[in-house]
Amino acid sequence: MQQKIINGLVGVLVAMLLGAGVMLVQGYQPLETYTALFNYSLGNWYSIATTLRNSVPLILTGLSASVAFASGPVNLGQPGQLVMGALAATIGGLYLDLPAPLMLPVLIFLALVGGALWSGVAALLRYWFNMSEFITTLMLNMIADFFTYWAISYPFFDKSAYSPMTPPINKSGWLPEFGEFNSSVLIMVMAFVVVWFIFTRSLAGYEWRISGQNGLFARLGGVEIDRNYMWVMLLTGALAGLAGGLVVLAGPHRFIKDIGANYAWDGVMIAMVANNGIVATLLYGLFFAVLQTGALGMELITAVPSELIMVIQAVIVLVVVAGRGYLEILMNKLAERRKMQERAL
Amino acid sequence: MKITIGLINGMITAATPILLAALGGTLTFYAGIFNIAMEGMMLAGAFFAVIGSYYFGSWVMGILFAVLASLVMVAIFILFSVVLKTDEFVTGIGLNLFALGSTTYLLRQIFKVKGAFSGPGIVSVPNYDLPLIKDIPLAGEILSGQNLIVYLTLLITIWVAYLVFKTRFGLRLRAAGYNATCLDISGVPSDHMRIWSLILCGVLCGLAGAYLSLGYVTLFSENMSAGRGWISLAAVILVNGNPWGIALISLLFGFSDGLGLFLQRVLPSQFTSMVPYVATLIALFVYSVRRKEAAI
Repeated sequence: MQQKIINGLVGVLVAMLLGAGVMLVQGYQPLETYTALFNYSLGNWYSIATTLRNSVPLILTGLSASVAFASGPVNLGQPGQLVMGALAATIGGLYLDLPAPLMLPVLIFLALVGGALWSGVAALLRYWFNMSEFITTLMLNMIADFFTYWAISYPFFDKSAYSPMTPPINKSGWLPEFGEFNSSVLIMVMAFVVVWFIFTRSLAGYEWRISGQNGLFARLGGVEIDRNYMWVMLLTGALAGLAGGLVVLAGPHRFIKDIGANYAWDGVMIAMVANNGIVATLLYGLFFAVLQTGALGMELITAVPSELIMVIQAVIVLVVVAGRGYLEILMNKLAERRKMQERAL
Repeated sequence: MKITIGLINGMITAATPILLAALGGTLTFYAGIFNIAMEGMMLAGAFFAVIGSYYFGSWVMGILFAVLASLVMVAIFILFSVVLKTDEFVTGIGLNLFALGSTTYLLRQIFKVKGAFSGPGIVSVPNYDLPLIKDIPLAGEILSGQNLIVYLTLLITIWVAYLVFKTRFGLRLRAAGYNATCLDISGVPSDHMRIWSLILCGVLCGLAGAYLSLGYVTLFSENMSAGRGWISLAAVILVNGNPWGIALISLLFGFSDGLGLFLQRVLPSQFTSMVPYVATLIALFVYSVRRKEAAI
């Protein structure tokens, strides 16, 4: 536990030092820049609320990737599942008009189903034809991207708009806001608790975890690999779909082109730095949201392009992951040396 | 007739970057590396090809910069996966996102634009006419007048097939993937073979990137590789790394790409753009069905 925290902190520090180096080379003030960054994302209640709201899609796609990787399936389809979930929720919001207490659960359910359907396609391809989900999910990402682009350009196109987007969904489907605090955060927290409970406290979660660690052992122990695989794919797809749905319901209230941004790939990165841990995913998700939210402030105040954060994020992933392996070797060596010394005494 | 020739030329154009990256991928495949960083290497190559070409006014510098940038990515890959023994999958994903982030950042920082950069200052890689062949009525229009990198790709395909199957280096390369311990014991460090395969892969991916940004267009746009690295990975897996098989598969993808353009008369462009990715899925499907039959 302690080792994990040290490793995470060191990785983040190294990445930020490298980022500072890049800034120095280009003639920016690193200290001032980082101050601007954290001020903009954590400086006051308003910015903290914004950061929390931005963390929702990151954490949900991160959870999706974490659960999938830790249970075995290499589901890299979060980008596709996210936009499909977003599209499902948007279409529901356009055609349904129920009172808000009914409308919101229905739209969220649609988002879950949209994502799960898309990951279900990959799961079925694997189940029927033994096609590796690693490549199929990647290809389905591109297909979902073009499909949603088509959907918002033709059948659900807002005729008064100049670029591809749908009309806004009905008002009852808008997630309530309390000041700057958006209730999508609450739904994310609920989803997190449910996933945490399933994954760490239920029998199904136990089976998933041992399948991920040692498939042969799990099968010999009587775990139904195929059925579990299907459930993991559906759950992780639903999580990514939920991320997409919440982005629509909380933010622009309509499906705009490129609404998925880079959320899903960021989520995959978060799962990787978190080593597929559920709680660690939440923490790193929050931290990445801090960086991304602050990036805008950094650009406004110090003129450092916000894209620099994308570089820093990737460096964090590489340094933390490499450090994890390296630190383990180092710690083992130290422990061994200590033992040797004790024996010598 | 014109349509057929156009379709074939479109096929060659679309197949070239995929083939180059897949040939690089196959070298690492034989060396036993799960290399998924082709996408990132290609993207870095595409961006720095534009830099080299724009600032030095020569496509030679463009290609050189592309290869160098791709090699920098390779150096990071080697540092993490070979030296520090980090998981190759994580390293690959991390590198791809690093390439995406840094090219987007540099595009903004150097050229002060978002999205795409194109300009008259970018010198493209020239097309060449083959002296005698260009006079042959039909074949001339296809074989001659192609981009320099297309001709290079043809030579490289032959060279890779020769290298892997007919040379001592190739034998050792395959041994590194087949049984690394055995190779180590016989006195050839398998890590050296891995490093060499990665370096060659980097050169080829750099070329693929240069072709993307200086071959048939002269611009760089964000995330320009657009999944081609993944398709080339699929191609490597589909034919178990055989270079000739890869060439065939790449041409098939190229064909589906051209077909997509052709279909634009009847279908919305969003659907025709899906064609190469659907083709990959179909190819994977055929592959898995055939493997199942072979097992029975």
